[in-house]
Amino acid sequence: MKIDLVNVSKAYGQGDAQFWALKGATVSATEGDFISIVGPSGSGKSTMLHIFGCLDKPTEGEVRVDDQLISTFSDRQMSRIRRDHIGFVFQQYFLNASMTTLQNVLLPMQLAGVSDGKKKAAAALEIVGLGSKLRSYPSQLSGGEQQRCAIARALANSPSIVLADEPTGSLDTKTGKNVLDMLMTLNSEKNLGVVIVTHDEAVAAKAKNMIHVLDGRIS
Amino acid sequence: MSWIILANARKRKVRVAMTVGGIAIGVATLFALLSLSAGIENALDREISGMGAHILLLPEGCPYELTLALMQGSDAFEHIPAELLPDIRAVGNVSLAVPVVVGKAKVNGQLSSIYGTTEEILQVRHWGIDELKGAVIGSDVAEKLGLAVGDTVTISLYNSLEIEITQVLEPTNGRDDTFVFVSLEAAQQVLGLTNRLSAVLIRTEIVTESTRTQYTLGRMSDIQAVPPSDIFERLMELFASIKQTLILITGIAIVAGVMTTMNTMTMAVFERKKEIGILRALGSTKFNVFKLFVTESLLLSLVGGVVGLIAGYIATLFLPKTSGFGLEATPQFAPIYVVICLVVAVIVGVTSSLYPAMSAARTQPIKTLREL
Repeated sequence: MKIDLVNVSKAYGQGDAQFWALKGATVSATEGDFISIVGPSGSGKSTMLHIFGCLDKPTEGEVRVDDQLISTFSDRQMSRIRRDHIGFVFQQYFLNASMTTLQNVLLPMQLAGVSDGKKKAAAALEIVGLGSKLRSYPSQLSGGEQQRCAIARALANSPSIVLADEPTGSLDTKTGKNVLDMLMTLNSEKNLGVVIVTHDEAVAAKAKNMIHVLDGRIS
Repeated sequence: MSWIILANARKRKVRVAMTVGGIAIGVATLFALLSLSAGIENALDREISGMGAHILLLPEGCPYELTLALMQGSDAFEHIPAELLPDIRAVGNVSLAVPVVVGKAKVNGQLSSIYGTTEEILQVRHWGIDELKGAVIGSDVAEKLGLAVGDTVTISLYNSLEIEITQVLEPTNGRDDTFVFVSLEAAQQVLGLTNRLSAVLIRTEIVTESTRTQYTLGRMSDIQAVPPSDIFERLMELFASIKQTLILITGIAIVAGVMTTMNTMTMAVFERKKEIGILRALGSTKFNVFKLFVTESLLLSLVGGVVGLIAGYIATLFLPKTSGFGLEATPQFAPIYVVICLVVAVIVGVTSSLYPAMSAARTQPIKTLREL
């Protein structure tokens, strides 16, 4: 799967309060890519990631998924792309606190109607080293473990691309490195596309391609 | 989807309990109302048809009030002169005229209903006994006062009499269980109603000509002749209007339940914005989110409905049996009441969740995740 952003701009608010978070961005991502998007806070890098992830539509410009314009897509079609082809990893993990790690990973599979979800979810948790904590709740896990659980959830439906928004932002250096190594391994061994948003230059430098964003523009 | 709902319910036990409780109270009230109403209707039917009369002769006054007083065994303070009895018996087509006098008196110091009549009563009431001698008592009276055949009781009001109990009736599940049956003269003496009657039960030879007989009897002075079926219909109409009011009040309680559930669900949507945002990011469609909230509400309402049915059933068992026209009414349970209550619960669940579910479905994933 290939996602192309062509001259994409995104504005929030209206009238005098209108604010352009992204201006004229052109960038692509596909399987096997490892792209880092770097820039200071408020530069527009998360906005770019959300548009990549079909969570948001641009105000101007085109977004193509496998050469199909998404501006004409319905909510159902956008949801299906997110569900089947894209995995998300967030800085705050965003795990469901009332569900076990296994259930959290099972959730996207349930949405996709996967039949033997439990087995696959357990396997995904095994990959990220949480095979022994299937029945633990997020509150019983460390920050690193929660983020690994979030990665397992992102991998649940075997996506083409994982979009990670500051995945190491809430973790200490050592745990952050482990999480990053995991994403790199998945990229090299499973040809997974990884787009990572970070303001940490050291993290960004590990990517094959680095995109700098400043004031909504790619510099 | 059910495990997602269960996982959420475990996290919000108090809120879930309050929602289930609110619906359960409404459903319990509705169920109790339906089964008690049916019980009262049944009791009315049983008591009026159980009189065994084709025509009921009453003193002048409100026939419904007088009939209820007769059924309850209370003196209505309006009476038929006993000297009319031969004239009544002489009317064509009257095969049997059973004089009755009722009133409350003390039986061994405890207030009970006294029913004075003649042995002719045995031709209209089928108690399985051959004669009305001494005192024949209902099963409830026997139990309440600890009386048995052979005991002598003191019955007193205006006068006092000592009478031996000759029979204890088998339970009839009706008002007869609460009466002390004595001879007409004995009752008149105790109640101070010499030469006066509370009512006369008439049986006709040719039932199809009862209406004509009723008109003839009705023309006699100081009495009115009414067919018990008319009384039953009018009392049922009266009861129906009471029932309608009660159903309306229950309906208002249920609407309040809908509002409360709607409020709970709306708050739940607000509280669960993060969860909704994650669901949407993971690929839930708007419809999936909508369905999740409606299903959750539906499940809570069904649980509330079942809890309400059980609570309503238990409540009816503990409510005082004497209710509605002072009759002993046993609640009637019918499968249709269960269906009605569960349908109401489902309607409450669905209607109360529509707005919150739409609001949840409209949640923009990106906006939610940005706010967190």
